[in-house]
Amino acid sequence: MTGHLHHHHHHAEHAHSHDGGAGHAITVTTIIGSRIDPMLSRWLHDIQHHGQVETISLETRDMARRRLRAITDHGTECMIALPRTECLYDGAVLLMEDRRAIVVRVSQENWLRLRPVTAADALSLGYAAGNLHWRVRFTGGDLEIALEEPADTYLARIADLIERGRVVVVTPKARAA
Amino acid sequence: MMLDRLFAPTPDGQSRPALHGAARIGIGGPVGSGKTALIEQLLPMLQARGISVAVITNDLVTAEDAERLRRSGIIDPARVLAVEAGACPHTVIREDPTLNLLAADELDERFPDVELVIIESGGDNLASTFSLDLVDWWIFVIDVAGGGDIPRKRGPGVLQCDLLVVNKIDLAPHVGVDLAQMLAEAEAVRDGRPIIGTNCRSGFHIDAVAEAIARAVLVER
Ligand SMILES: Nc1nc2c(ncn2[C@@H]2O[C@H](COP(=O)(O)OP(=O)(O)OP(=O)(O)O)[C@@H](O)[C@H]2O)c(=O)[nH]1
Ligand SMILES: [Mg+2]
Repeated sequence: MTGHLHHHHHHAEHAHSHDGGAGHAITVTTIIGSRIDPMLSRWLHDIQHHGQVETISLETRDMARRRLRAITDHGTECMIALPRTECLYDGAVLLMEDRRAIVVRVSQENWLRLRPVTAADALSLGYAAGNLHWRVRFTGGDLEIALEEPADTYLARIADLIERGRVVVVTPKARAA
Repeated sequence: MMLDRLFAPTPDGQSRPALHGAARIGIGGPVGSGKTALIEQLLPMLQARGISVAVITNDLVTAEDAERLRRSGIIDPARVLAVEAGACPHTVIREDPTLNLLAADELDERFPDVELVIIESGGDNLASTFSLDLVDWWIFVIDVAGGGDIPRKRGPGVLQCDLLVVNKIDLAPHVGVDLAQMLAEAEAVRDGRPIIGTNCRSGFHIDAVAEAIARAVLVER
């Protein structure tokens, strides 16, 4: 309980609104907590009734940044400037006022799912993915690549494996956030 | 109720909040594309905007670029640190950026007023990219003399950077490059993400680069 109040106190010190004439820019220098934290979620619920909860949608790639400018779905401009030790996450609460809150959301991510035919093909594909620094995950025997470029860009880099039928494109499937 | 007391509205017009160290940006790109020249042009322009800057250079085995900046007179020599990148300049900005992280932490500690740390990577190939654990935002510098077909090669550096600078636009007529076409192709492979054509000898469009940096990572004043 004290912990939450403490966080709260931090917010008052570290999230500053200032009118730059043109708009209303907010500087965020710490994450207050998670949207699913019991106390914060109760507070968010209250704000939803008395004011508005604004969302910042970020692509997965941007979640790794400590500094970035972002705009909420209500048009509020935020300069996020976190300590190097802190990291954004889905549901991070950046601002909590009596009538307004700002919460981070990771926007939908697309995956290219590839299926190597043999173990040797899996080695080739894995080697290529590592060499090219693709962000991947494994699903059963398939390799999934997080798409930060159009799927064709990735397929072009392993064209020989695809053309020779050593690797099959299962699906460029979209996962809802 | 209690909420109202806890949730005092954030006061407007206050002094800027204390930040945890400086923003960090990277400048990468092939050997000789004009990374140091861009920094030399940016420094006075950023200083004129009241932004306090420090620089980290990454050279292969020497501190050539650091020495060049220290001698330039445009920055306090103590605010330029050199990291020796060894034979593999991309390793220290991506796979294992420890040396650069330590250098940036050191600058934060020694110069609490510094708002922006610029990290120049050692000249590399088109595949070099910065880790977002090291920098908040990064520029990739290619140059017209390196060939008009560079964007078409779709190097990860060209594709993934936050800002692509196409430098030495003054040389286009001399090296037979169609600048408009080169910029259009760069735009196409980057899906419309920002590109700026510069001349780092005359200072052309450096103001646009400074503005992009301020916009991306600096708190508005
Ligand atoms: N004509 C012309 N020459 C330029 C321009 N920018 C840089 N140069 C020249 O290009 C050469 C290389 O510039 P640098 O700034 O040292 O390039 P760099 O990318 O830092 O090089 P490395 O750190 O060695 O990879 C120098 O001789 C510069 O004077 C430009 O816009 N036009
Ligand atoms: Mg240099």
